[in-house]
Amino acid sequence: MSSPAGPPEAAGAQGAGGAGGGSASGDGASGDGAGGGRDAASLVVEDLVAGYGEVVALDQVTITAGAATITAVLGANGAGKTTLLRAISGMVRPRSGRVLLDGADRTGRSPEDMARAGIAHVPEGQGVIAELTVEENLRIGMMSWRGLAPRRADRAAALAEAYDRFGALADRRRKLASTLSGGERQMLVIARALVARPRVLLLDEPSLGLAPRIMTQVMDMVVRLSRENGITIVLVEQNARGALAIADRGVVLNLGRVVAAADAKTLATDVALRHHYLGFLAGAAQEDRAT
Amino acid sequence: MVEFLQFTLSGLSFGMVYAAIALSLVLIWRGTRLLNFAQGGMAMFTTYIALEVIRHTGSYWAGFVVALAAGVVLGAAAELTVVRPALGKPELNAVIITIGLLILLEGLAGIFYGGQYRSFPAAFSVIGLRVGSTPLGVSRFDVFVALAVLAATLLLAVGFRYTSAGLRMRAAAFNATVARLSGIRVARVITVGWALAGLLGALAGVLVTPSTFLYPNSMDSIFVFGFTAAVIGGLDSPLGAVVGGLLLGVVLSYAGGYLGSQGSDLTALVALGILVVVLMLRPHGIFSGARVRRV
Repeated sequence: MSSPAGPPEAAGAQGAGGAGGGSASGDGASGDGAGGGRDAASLVVEDLVAGYGEVVALDQVTITAGAATITAVLGANGAGKTTLLRAISGMVRPRSGRVLLDGADRTGRSPEDMARAGIAHVPEGQGVIAELTVEENLRIGMMSWRGLAPRRADRAAALAEAYDRFGALADRRRKLASTLSGGERQMLVIARALVARPRVLLLDEPSLGLAPRIMTQVMDMVVRLSRENGITIVLVEQNARGALAIADRGVVLNLGRVVAAADAKTLATDVALRHHYLGFLAGAAQEDRAT
Repeated sequence: MVEFLQFTLSGLSFGMVYAAIALSLVLIWRGTRLLNFAQGGMAMFTTYIALEVIRHTGSYWAGFVVALAAGVVLGAAAELTVVRPALGKPELNAVIITIGLLILLEGLAGIFYGGQYRSFPAAFSVIGLRVGSTPLGVSRFDVFVALAVLAATLLLAVGFRYTSAGLRMRAAAFNATVARLSGIRVARVITVGWALAGLLGALAGVLVTPSTFLYPNSMDSIFVFGFTAAVIGGLDSPLGAVVGGLLLGVVLSYAGGYLGSQGSDLTALVALGILVVVLMLRPHGIFSGARVRRV
């Protein structure tokens, strides 16, 4: 189906200097088991134009996310970060440009098709279905599996894996998701996305509203998903410092355009860029979180 | 005391029909946030189809089954052809479309079958059951009505709760965005919801028509009561629809029974009274979980 886990040239070029250290390419292969047997896939967005009515929210945006890498998408409110994820996952139909998953053109497909192709989009807030139980929320992650009737054993294994990864959810599996705390909800949403065995994970502000300690846990997990499971991650964050600390690559959007794209380390140390678009100073992480 | 029992049982029997209509409205409301004003008209139409089939085959059950199947087809067809283009547009558009569909169906029924009242056969005896010499106020057919709606409701409840398809429907109803992002084909789920609603409406039609006669507007008042029941129960809640239907059926039966000859004229007013009281005490209906979502 797709090329083996070895990264396409894009990942080789970008991932090497990644802030997280070790190259993502080698780990991608070892992640096959946990990733449900799907190979890591690259995600390429080419000259994407999208918007709402008269408003152009994305203008000629090009982003290349190598297989099993983390790409941080940064920028102020209204920069187009969320629209970018929505355009990738099919919630917003692009006016022009292309979305390539592992080299295959998927532009303009419906969200359902994108999910089935292996793109899991975790929207900001509101991601859990509060009226369903924790376990039902997780089972929804299986709806994008190929084939009509997954085997009982497969489903049980996927749930067991999710509970293994998120112990707090195991104790609450029969509880309504509305009873979970903010951190637990965020865990549930990510767990559900992982049950889908995605090749690409789009995370919109996963740390929003979380206590700093839990935020760190979430960020650690994002790193592991990329390194150990070979999932390609696109991470939208207001918390630019935290995102760049774990990302291989960073992209800065401003008013719908890409104003910078470089290694995460390079971006993190680019003083002028920080002042202009990211609005944080070295050592001022608290302020950053408050925004 | 005997009267009370009679009124209660016959009220429950009618209430079951209201519950079926209410449940069909809830199914569509949950999927599309739309009230299907054509629900009664669709049920009327499938009942005409059942009558034709019964006439030609001589078999009540052939008509019964064909009516349910026609309900499924009519529900799905209505969604696919006229409702879907209006989804995502201002809500009033879809409301007007379902009212238009009601007028269309009633007009077509008039053209095909004429406006005269027709009797519709019952599956079982409509002679009142007795315990000793005491009449119970319900017939074998009334018992069948109650059991049929109960069975349909339980099947739906179990299907929603325990099957993968049911989970898809609930997910799509509660949060269409998350459902789509998870790979659920929400448009298809909505069509299935309309088909199931059509089936329940058709069931209500064949069950209630032996008591009301069949004519192009015959389901209008049943629809109004079913709608009332759905609102009483909270439009989001299938359980509420059933409880609302039974409550309304029983109270209307008491009104018709105890208020003497004027009682039957007052039923609409009594229904309105119940609606007003319930909505004053619980604005979202008895069983609504709407507030959970506003957290």
